[in-house]
Amino acid sequence: MKSVPVKVEHEGKWIPTTMGIGEDRFRIDAPLEREIPYKSVVDLEGKKNQVVITAGPEGELIYRIASVEKVLSVLKKFIITQASAYRLNAFFMSPAIRGGVLIQDARWEKGAIAVMKTGIWFVSQENQVCIPLEDVAGIELTSREIQEKDLDVVKIDHLSENEVVTSFVLCPMTTLQVLYNFLKEATHDTEVGEEIDPLTGQVAMLVYSGMDSSTIENMLKLSHKDLDVAYEKLLGMGLAEVLYIRKEVQLTAKGVRYISETVKSPME
Amino acid sequence: MGRILIVDDTMFMRTLLKNILFSGGHDIVGEAADGAEALARYRELKPDLVTMDVVMPNVNGIEALKAIKASDPSAKVIMCTAVGQEQMVKLAVKSGARGYIVKPFQAPKVLEEVKNVLSA
Repeated sequence: MKSVPVKVEHEGKWIPTTMGIGEDRFRIDAPLEREIPYKSVVDLEGKKNQVVITAGPEGELIYRIASVEKVLSVLKKFIITQASAYRLNAFFMSPAIRGGVLIQDARWEKGAIAVMKTGIWFVSQENQVCIPLEDVAGIELTSREIQEKDLDVVKIDHLSENEVVTSFVLCPMTTLQVLYNFLKEATHDTEVGEEIDPLTGQVAMLVYSGMDSSTIENMLKLSHKDLDVAYEKLLGMGLAEVLYIRKEVQLTAKGVRYISETVKSPME
Repeated sequence: MGRILIVDDTMFMRTLLKNILFSGGHDIVGEAADGAEALARYRELKPDLVTMDVVMPNVNGIEALKAIKASDPSAKVIMCTAVGQEQMVKLAVKSGARGYIVKPFQAPKVLEEVKNVLSA
């Protein structure tokens, strides 16, 4: 088992230690002194220079490990390919579309997909991509032209650093259907159950495109109150969240006097 | 910054693109609601770039793209279409499109794509 330097979170502090990475397990040295088989891992979250691993028969033990990308990449690969998760070999393209713009050099990568408790992992020889389930905006079974053939794929829309990103998964149809059902079930909380009226739908589309409230009012010729009603509907349905509340003000008599004084000609 | 012609059959999408491109400092020199109008407006306005919807009545975006490229081989056209029609990319690129955006889109990415195509 090869040992590498890492930091682990222990009693609220980051402690430097060493970690052994083996073929079927990893070991965290003092102060944790634990050996964790990859197959006991039930969840893996990837953050910048950090991984959060949930392992154990009940999944109650959480390990936070920080290290350089190279070390974490090896650890993540072992976990994704051996952890207790729904896993399949597939081709994936992630990201294929970012913010509505097709990524011209996007290509299919051969690898594995693991659906864990809080996220979907794509792993290939060169790439590891995590899509947190809470960031999944849509799952669709659709077709895509690949090498001049229309093939069935699962399309996943998700948020990544405030951008809407689309990724595709390609595998045999029977597996694809299982993956689709699995993802649908895992993300059913984010499905829109209610009907949205056309105006609120247009407001949502403009928010998606990055328009601010003032632009939306101008574009749709809405009053401030009308827009608030649409926003309330989106908030009520859980389709939007408040980013910030902006104040609209008018000047008091004191303020008017200040402006009047300011614009007075020096000659007066 | 460029002089841009927006082609889309829905006023909502034209207005949205106009706002996005205007916020990026571009000059919107004209709009067209179908492919035939797009070709006429292109010849008249000679824009630096065209954003072209694919699915439109009468003359569709691909046909209009071909006509514009036939009239001006250096024309810069970004195709714009709805989700699920990404397979049109190949056809559009083959017909001379320089970029492709998929509705719904986000302003920063559209501006980035426009910038890339204009500077290419």
